[in-house]
Formats: sequence, structure tokens, C-alpha cells
Amino acid sequence: MNLATLAPRLKTPAVIVALLAIWQAAVVLLKVPEFILPSPLSALEHLFLPQPDANYNWGVHIRATLLEIGIAFVVTSVVGIAIAIGLAWSDAVRRLSMPLFVFVNSLPIIAIAPIILLWSGYGLATNILIAFLVSFFPVVINTLAGLSAIDDDLLDLVNYLHATKMQVFVKLRIPNSLPYIFTGLKICSTMCVVGAIVGEFIASDKGLGYIIINSQYTMDSPPIYAGLMLVSLFGVSLFALVGLAERILMPWARKGVEA
Amino acid sequence: MKRAARVAKAVLPKLLYAVALIALWHGAIVAFGVKEFVVPSPLAVFEALFSPAKAAQYAWSTHILTTLGEILVSFVFTAVFGFALSVLICWSSIARSIAMPIIAVLNSLPKIALAPLFLIWLGYGFAANVTIAILVAFFPVVLNTTTGLDAVDEDLLDLVRYLHASKLQVFLKIRIPMSLPYVLSGLKISATLSVVGAIVGEFVASSEGLGFLIKDSQAMMNTPPMFASLILISAIGLGLFASIAVVERVFMPWNRAAEAGSAR
Amino acid sequence: MTGLKAAAAALFAAALTAGGASAQPMTKIDFQLNWKISGDHAPYYVAIEKGWFKEEGLDVNVMIGQGSGFAVQMVDAGKAQIGIADAPVPIEGRAKGANVKVIGIIFDKHPNAMYFWKDSGITKPQDLKGKTVAVPASDGHKVMWPAFASLIGVNAADVKFVNIEPTAKPAALGTKKADVVFELYTGKPFMEKAVPADKLGVLLWADYGFNAYAHSYIANTDFLKSNPEAARKFLKVVYRAWDFTLKNIPESIEILSKYHPINRDDFVANLTAVREFFKTDRYRNNGIGYIDPARMQDTINIVKEKGVEIKTPASDFYTAEFLPNPPYKFNF
Repeated sequence: MNLATLAPRLKTPAVIVALLAIWQAAVVLLKVPEFILPSPLSALEHLFLPQPDANYNWGVHIRATLLEIGIAFVVTSVVGIAIAIGLAWSDAVRRLSMPLFVFVNSLPIIAIAPIILLWSGYGLATNILIAFLVSFFPVVINTLAGLSAIDDDLLDLVNYLHATKMQVFVKLRIPNSLPYIFTGLKICSTMCVVGAIVGEFIASDKGLGYIIINSQYTMDSPPIYAGLMLVSLFGVSLFALVGLAERILMPWARKGVEA
Repeated sequence: MKRAARVAKAVLPKLLYAVALIALWHGAIVAFGVKEFVVPSPLAVFEALFSPAKAAQYAWSTHILTTLGEILVSFVFTAVFGFALSVLICWSSIARSIAMPIIAVLNSLPKIALAPLFLIWLGYGFAANVTIAILVAFFPVVLNTTTGLDAVDEDLLDLVRYLHASKLQVFLKIRIPMSLPYVLSGLKISATLSVVGAIVGEFVASSEGLGFLIKDSQAMMNTPPMFASLILISAIGLGLFASIAVVERVFMPWNRAAEAGSAR
Repeated sequence: MTGLKAAAAALFAAALTAGGASAQPMTKIDFQLNWKISGDHAPYYVAIEKGWFKEEGLDVNVMIGQGSGFAVQMVDAGKAQIGIADAPVPIEGRAKGANVKVIGIIFDKHPNAMYFWKDSGITKPQDLKGKTVAVPASDGHKVMWPAFASLIGVNAADVKFVNIEPTAKPAALGTKKADVVFELYTGKPFMEKAVPADKLGVLLWADYGFNAYAHSYIANTDFLKSNPEAARKFLKVVYRAWDFTLKNIPESIEILSKYHPINRDDFVANLTAVREFFKTDRYRNNGIGYIDPARMQDTINIVKEKGVEIKTPASDFYTAEFLPNPPYKFNF
């Protein structure tokens, strides 16, 4: 493990540290009032040091949010891919349901969440549902694209060999769609985080989203940004995890431009 | 006569489908005894949109045009800016290392949480809403396009390198054309997100637009115009999505999503 | 030894079952708040912490709120049995068929206010003419503004409104993106973070004659019919908790901060401001929670002026029969 192998892996953390440094410098140099934007140091202080005038209970809220994100991501991935397979299999189903999916996905979740709440009440299931509604669409669209983007000649060939629809599906379409699926999952990862947090804004009394929204209403700025920092950390981490899974499951896929 | 028949064949099933959904909506309200201040009936929504007496108080054309404008402008910017950024990311590994984490961070933050910051930095108005919409919608375009530009067949790359193709030639003649399915999927996702983003922008701060109307009528427990606005918003999203699907059929006629059971 | 053990076990079991036989089943109450946590929600957590709800056989689940409209919808749907909402909202809801009724009052003095920079030259509400006001569309202030405007003689069209996210209120005023922000008087400690206290101007609507009821307890009418005792007990505990809370502000905020991530100092200031809205002669004479029929009629009239059809008499919209008897009265 020398610097040459370590260096590429340090790129992302380096960028993030650089961003934090810029933020800190901007707040100090531009004398930004704390109610508008606190410094990252102030936010981190509220995160790591016990505060004399508040119990943030970060552990409880972090665990709650992580649980939601974890379950939501798994559920959304599985269900999203399953939906896409169903849509690719049956043209009729696709024509009936795609407009509905687009319709649902164009609605801002903040506007329809109260209606969802009225129906399903407060609880983990509702938060998962909200995160799902926010993040399922990219998985479905990308997976569907992957299942369809088969080389014409290849399709001709297998049809000539009298392959059944099922064989075409399992042996050709699904393997071909892997890069698309992973792209969809990468988009889904960050959107799942957003969905979980937005769900907590609306339907929760636990979680980082709850701390953020509560602190926003009471003008307690540093915890807002501590919460947001954690949220983006979770998002980037989940994104990186999906990328890692992609590299493991598809080692033949070359990344980057060499030519 | 044949042309009319063809148009009818394309449009009629969709019309019947819409009518069936509306009937289902009405039936559900009656069956579950849902009160108007929770979910209105299709008739009430129709009246809010079209009845001369009721529709006049809502200034529909102003609100629709404002929001439609925000969505279209932000979508065009998202597509162009997103594509350009993706090309840059694929071209330069330094750009990739810097841009990707920043984009991933930005996209994990719910924009509505940054409402006070947006209000301070962008104020309110058309430009502010467009900016927020772009921030919400551009990640899928970038992610999909970069994946598409990266995912070139290895043998093909080897071949052209053997033929001494330059980096630029590879880009223009191979990567960009081959990334088309990815790009178009990315645009489809961003289309609906542009809609959501424009509305989020209006929620942050606005004095007109369909998002403004939603909030305003929600406050008065006046559900017909609120649901009418939601339907209009979704219709815009559907329209944008369908337009991209049409572009897809034109530029990639070989790519039939439907024909999973056969090659044709 | 075995015999002794067996006897002890038998006694133990008997004691358990005896306790079980005399225990009553707890009534579950889902209580829908009007908004996110603020100082005026402290009493409920005081009551939970001190076991007062349990004493009365109530198992209370406090649910974070989304606004008065949402609270009315939740209570109407029976998803919550009791909730908090600004009085005009359940009144309008009931006129439109909601199964809700007001059963008790919280703030006796109307808490709506407007905030601005002192150097903007605003000294009275009429000065709003030509100014820009930032307020969320679903905010109680926006809903009641037309009534207040006509009371003070301001033409609605003369004031420009911008809808903002509720979280952006202090930022909107602090950075002068708007001239005026509407917010409860009790929110002053939070507004002072954006505008220094010596530069912050406040005008209270109540000082200009605005008399409507604001935060009130509402209940589902079916629940009131099927379980009136539970409603009575709930209000009894709640007003007892208010009595305690307003006399023990720091301790109450300490308790609240156990359940929610709040800044204690800010909330003590917030709750201290809340107390001012209980310090009225009406409450001193009639006890906290008292519903004044004349003021209720005023509130109903405000809703009528909005164009809502009110077909039933005022008594249809509220009831005082669940208020504690004797009421909690004390001299502040």
C-alpha cells in the first residue's frame, strides 16, 4: 500500500475537505451572520461536543435516519428493478403504467405527503414509502433502458436460433442491462437520502431531517448544518458503495477515457 | 380516411384510459366517503379549471405560463449544461475527481432544506426558481451521460486505437453516438425532476405559478384548484417525458423497449 | 424449603393478578399538534413526564404537526382524537362537513404579530400599504389577514404578498428581502437571531382590536360522543399541566428538551412570551381554557366574511362541557 495506490482513493475525501475549507474561509472572511450560514467548525462543534443548552441526542437520530435510508434503498432497488422487468416483459403493462409512474413522479412529494400521511399515519413504513416514491423512478427508467438496448443483430441471431422470450430475457437482456441498473441505483442512492430526509421533515419526530427542520424553525443554525453535513456524507457514501458494488460485479467494465 | 383512422387508433385508447382513471377516482371518493376538503371530486376540479364563474378567480393562464416557462427553461439548461459537464468529466480525470463528489453531495441535500439560503442568495422570481429547478434536475443527466460516454465497447476502442484515432475522434465518432440510450434515459428522469424542481422553487418563495397556487389553495382548504394544479403539473411532466420519448424513437428507431419478445 | 418457595410464588402470583384485575385498560389518545415543537407544547411533555396522563388512564401519543389544516384533517378522519388548530380553521372545516369541534382555548390574547426593521418607518399596521410581506400561504396569519385588514382599514390589494417557506421567515426579514414578516409574538426570540433586538420592530394584532381566537383544542365529534370521559380527563390533565408549566417555565423547558433537540435558552424566552397571552382578565376570572361565546361568534364571523357558508348556529362549532370543573384559575 504505497502512495501511488492510495492517492486515487483519497481524491474524493480531498475534494470534500477542500469544500469545507472554502466554506470556513467564506464565513470568516465575508463575516456571514450565523443565522444565515454558520461555519463548519461551529456545526461540527455542535455535533461532537456536548452542548450546555440542548440535548441533540445525535446517536438516536442518526440511527433512525440510517435505518430508513438502508431499508428504503434496498426496497426501492428491488421493487424498481422488478417493476422495470415487468414493464419490459409486457408491452401492454408498460403502456398502461408508464404514464402513471411519470405522473406520480412529477408531483413534488412535499405537496402530496400530507395526503399520504392522512392515509398511512406516522411511522417507519410511511417514511420508507415517501423515500420510495422519490427515488424509484430513475431505477425503473434506467433498468428499462438497459433491458431494451440490445444490439439488433444479436437479437436477430438468437431469434434465428429459436430462442424463447424467457431465454432472450434471462440470457441476453438482463446481463446487458447491468451497467444501466447500476447507473439507476447510483442516482437512486442520493435520491433515497433526500426522500428519507424529506419524509422526516414531514412525518417524523426522529432522525436528522427532524433535527434539521426543528432547528430551522427555532433559528438554531449550527445543528442544521451539522445535520446537512451528515446527510450529504450518507449520500456520498451510499453512492460510493454502489460504485464499489459495480466494480466488483462488473470487473470487465472499463472506466475513464484512455484513448 | 386512413390517416384519421390511424390517429384515432393512437389517441382513442389513451383517452379511454384517462376516462377510466377519472371514473375510478370518482368511484373511490364516493365509496370511501372522502370529504371535499381532503380530496375533491373530478367534477369539482373540472369546474375550478373550466367553469367561467369559478375559473376566473384563479388566473390560470398566468400561473400555468409562469410554471411552464420555469420548467422548460430549466430543462433546456439542465440538458445542455448537464451534457457539457459530462463531456468535461469524461475528458479530464481531474474534472471527474472534483466534480463527481461535489455533485453527489449537492444531490443528497434536499433543496427544500436550503430554502432560507436560496431566498437569500437568489431572491425570488423566475430566475431563482429556474436555478433551483436546475439544481434538482441535473444530476441524473450528468450521471447517465458520463456512464454512457464511459461505456464503450472495448473491442471497438482497441480497434480505433489501432487505427490511431485521436481522443477527440473517439469522443465525437464513438462515445457520443453510443451514449445515446443513456443520455435519453437521463433526460427522461430529469424531465420529471425539472417539474418537481420548479415547484420546489415556487414553494421556497414565489408570488405566482402553479406551486404558489397549490400552497395558497391548500391554506384555504380549497382543494379543487389545488388538485387541478397538481394535475396540470403532472401533465406538463408527462408532456415533457413524452416529447423525449418521441425524440428517442426518431434518433434510435432500432431501440424498441416494447418488443421484448421479438426482434421486431 | 420447597414448600416456602411455592408459597412465596403463589403469593407473588396472587399479588400480580390482583393488581391486574384492578388495572383499567388505558384509553389511547392520538394527539395531533399544530406545528413543529415550540415552547407552547411543553405542557404535554410535562404531563407525560410526571405521569399525569397515566394517572387518568390515558395513553397519549403526541404527533408532530403540519399546520392547522392538517390537524383538522387528521382529527376529522379519526386518525387523531384530539388536536390543536387555529380556531378559524376547524370552524371552516366544520362548515364544510368536518367532524370536529373546539373544546378548549389555549392563547386567550390573540398572538398574531408583524415584524419589521425599526428603521423602515412602520409604526402602525396601516403603514403596511405599499410594503412587501413575506408569509407562508398556509400560515394562520395569511388566513386571518383579510379580516385584520378590513378591521384596520387596509385595502388587501395595497399590500404585496410573497409566499415563502416557513423556515425562511427570519432570513427574509434579516436580509431585507421583505419589508415585513408575519409571525406569532411568541416567536420573537427566534426572530431576534436574524434582526438584533434593538432594531426589531413588532406590532401585535391584538393591540389594534383583533379579537379572534387562535390556538385551540379540537376533537373528533364521534370520539366526544363515544368517550366523553376520556376527553374530559384529557383537558383536565392538559390544563393542570398548563398551570404547572406557566409557573415553572425553566423546569418545563428542561423536561421538553429531554424529548426534543431544542435550545433551552431560546425556548425559555419563547415560553415566557407565551405566558403573556394567558394573562388576561377573562382567564383570571373564568379559568384557563375558557371559551367566551362572544369571541367565538367574532371568530365565526371572520370565517363567514371569507365567503364560507355557515348554516348552523355558533353552538355547533364549540362546546365547553369538557373543560375542567372547577377550572384552573390563578393570578399571575
